[in-house]
Amino acid sequence: MTILAYVDPGMGALVWQTVVAAFVGFVFYLKETRRWIVNMFLKIFRRGQKPQDAGLKIPPAEKVEAETDVR
Amino acid sequence: MSLPAPSFRDPAGCCCVFDGRVLRFVTAEALPEFENFLQTDCARKFTAAKKLVPSRKLNETEIAKLRGTPGLKTIFAAQKTVAVFEHERISFQNFPHEWPPEMLWAAGKLTLELAQAALTDGFCLKDATPNNVLFCGGGPVFIDALSFERRNPHDPLWMAHAQFVRTFLLPLLANRRWNLQPAEIFTTRRDGIEPEEIYRFCGALEKFSPRTLSLVSIPTWLSRKTNPDNEKIYQPHLLADAKKARFILESLFKRVERQLDSLKPPAKKKSGWSGYMETHSYGDPAFAAKEKFVREALQEFKPARVLDAGANTGHFSALAAQSGAEVVAVDLDAACAGAIWNRARKEKLNILPLAVNLARPSPALGWRNNEQASFLDRAAGSFDGVLMLALIHHLLVTERIPLEEILRLAYQLTNQLLVIEFIEPQDAMFRRLTRGREGLHASLDAAAFERACAPHFEIVRSLALPGTQRRMYCLSKRKGGAG
Repeated sequence: MTILAYVDPGMGALVWQTVVAAFVGFVFYLKETRRWIVNMFLKIFRRGQKPQDAGLKIPPAEKVEAETDVR
Repeated sequence: MSLPAPSFRDPAGCCCVFDGRVLRFVTAEALPEFENFLQTDCARKFTAAKKLVPSRKLNETEIAKLRGTPGLKTIFAAQKTVAVFEHERISFQNFPHEWPPEMLWAAGKLTLELAQAALTDGFCLKDATPNNVLFCGGGPVFIDALSFERRNPHDPLWMAHAQFVRTFLLPLLANRRWNLQPAEIFTTRRDGIEPEEIYRFCGALEKFSPRTLSLVSIPTWLSRKTNPDNEKIYQPHLLADAKKARFILESLFKRVERQLDSLKPPAKKKSGWSGYMETHSYGDPAFAAKEKFVREALQEFKPARVLDAGANTGHFSALAAQSGAEVVAVDLDAACAGAIWNRARKEKLNILPLAVNLARPSPALGWRNNEQASFLDRAAGSFDGVLMLALIHHLLVTERIPLEEILRLAYQLTNQLLVIEFIEPQDAMFRRLTRGREGLHASLDAAAFERACAPHFEIVRSLALPGTQRRMYCLSKRKGGAG
């Protein structure tokens, strides 16, 4: 792919963007881990009983699908 | 016919105005991406909302005709053009150095909205500058459809982020903090203001305020500590996880949006002229007579395009817009232009407010003074009607412009109608401006004013405003007058 961007990306600004990106990337993994744990619990409860009976909220199916969609 | 001056910065193509048409020449390398972008939901949605300029691809016959045109041959050769698109023309070109901060903010908002929407379709905005935006019909329109490129799904960075900061966020920050106007930045700087420049203005405590810290101080400190020869900084930092890259980019856009929202200019800004409508020297009957006079002139001549010169907060611009005209309202005070912008948005009026001083109008700018035309080059002959209300004494006294020169300029600006308010030297405001130099204007009276008008205009009617030393004139441009 040819990158035709031709603007000055700045130096300090680009380094700062990279640093923040690394931090946000870490947040992304925290969120993913949290979602993985929640899903795991949901699976366990689904095997045994209805999650509603166990007081767990299931994210709507559409939302789960959208969140896991990888472009 | 003068030769067109094409844009030249983007390697993907160029744009020029030729014979009244806006043509975009696209290279073979960029064409597939450009056409793909025009097919996206984002492009369709924004075009339908009149926020992205419509593009029409010319067919082979039309291109062959253009290839034969002497002025365009060099562009075809230099650009290795394979396709030409025609964009809808914006009626009155306007530039960031003429916008009040409110319009710069609106242009930034649109740029960011487009960048976010394009992300959903797998595209990225490769440059984020206010020069990509023009204002038309009371709203911002993104005009550089070639600014979008297919995004690498693994890339978490936005290369145009620093440019967005330089050209939108920092000028707005400087305006909020030091009342620095866009004209003071963009007249001398094409690419906005660097964080290092703002950093020098900041006091010790201010450097640590949350807004300044992330936009100004940290980038400045990092650029001092970073080796400028380290090329690794500018190489793509691709991530294995495309989902993570997108998450990071979306989070960046949200953060920039929050920063932009926090820099929105306040709704009511005060300046030396913004309170004029509350403090002017007219009594109610005089102001009502003036308003009636202007309204009748607009009804009689029905100008399609009106220039309100010295518009203040746009009372008469609104009157012209309500009569169906497309209005360009200029005032030297950016706070007044901002107030007009807010009012026009609120009342959905077709007014383009610009912070332009008629005595020092914006010059031609850019490479060889050929990238952004001067205000007068754009304005001359572009209006069917010109309003010069409560303006003439400022030009005569404060700016020391001779009366004949003022009328010559009005003659060049209008194609037909001129509504002008003559102010006698005995008027209280006139006397306030002369500050003891009354002798300079001793010979000025209504008869002298009418004699000065005679070579350029015919007097349709005039009216003395009751209880004032002012007289309204409705003038019609003489065909073949002494321009």
